[in-house]
Amino acid sequence: MSKSLPQLKIVSRLHVLRAERRMTQEQLAKEVGVTRATIVAIEGGGYNPSLELAFRIARYFGADINTIFSIEEVTK
Amino acid sequence: MKRLDSILLKFFLYGIPAVIVFAAYSYFYSLGVVNHANVNLNFLNSFAGLVFALWMSLSLYLSVRLMVSGPFRDQVLAKLTFIRERDERESLLTGKATRTTFLTSLAILIFLFCLSCFQVSIYKLPSEMAVDGKTGIVSLGLGFNFLEHSKQDKPRETIEKKDIFSYTGLPVSNTTVILTIIVWQIMSYNYSMRRLTK
Repeated sequence: MSKSLPQLKIVSRLHVLRAERRMTQEQLAKEVGVTRATIVAIEGGGYNPSLELAFRIARYFGADINTIFSIEEVTK
Repeated sequence: MKRLDSILLKFFLYGIPAVIVFAAYSYFYSLGVVNHANVNLNFLNSFAGLVFALWMSLSLYLSVRLMVSGPFRDQVLAKLTFIRERDERESLLTGKATRTTFLTSLAILIFLFCLSCFQVSIYKLPSEMAVDGKTGIVSLGLGFNFLEHSKQDKPRETIEKKDIFSYTGLPVSNTTVILTIIVWQIMSYNYSMRRLTK
């Protein structure tokens, strides 16, 4: 019998880091090579970035990936 | 090859208005509106035929290239269907929209296949051919023909009957079905993409 896995949600602190550096979504998008819509989707929780993009964002901010993206268990 | 394909594609697209004009001219020529005795007008009709033949050959070549060449397909069909893959998120959305389009198209094709196989006939027989005193007949069937107008289609014997309702296969032409599927694919893809990007 398969055990039901807990539902997980990726939480992003991207907007906080961006605000600290006074960057626009457009500027960040340009820096990491995606569209502004993708940054909007990541910040809004509508899209989970690939590992490659997550590492690229972390490298750009000079931060650990865990400080930008964390995981939360969704309670029903 | 890429450069040649690009040039031929431009010829194909920019040739469409000329082909329409020549087709209209040939139509009027065949109706007899244009004076057949005039050598120049005769030549123009022949020239129109030649242009049309070349354009058709070009369209066949480009169709084959679309099937076999990945970069050419991406170049042409991406423009035709407004596909934009600027980053990983858009690639993911393209995949989702394509999946929806593929599945809905498949559903439509299955539906059309069922409709094309289905046969219904409601008719009345002459009173001398009545079965248990009943002359009204409802006939249901499924038919599948591998080839168009196959010999098996022709009935061996004909009976005099009064048709009330008869349905055999799709009442639309092959061209209409193909065009409908093409339009559906483009519309379905664009609708799915818009819905996903909201």
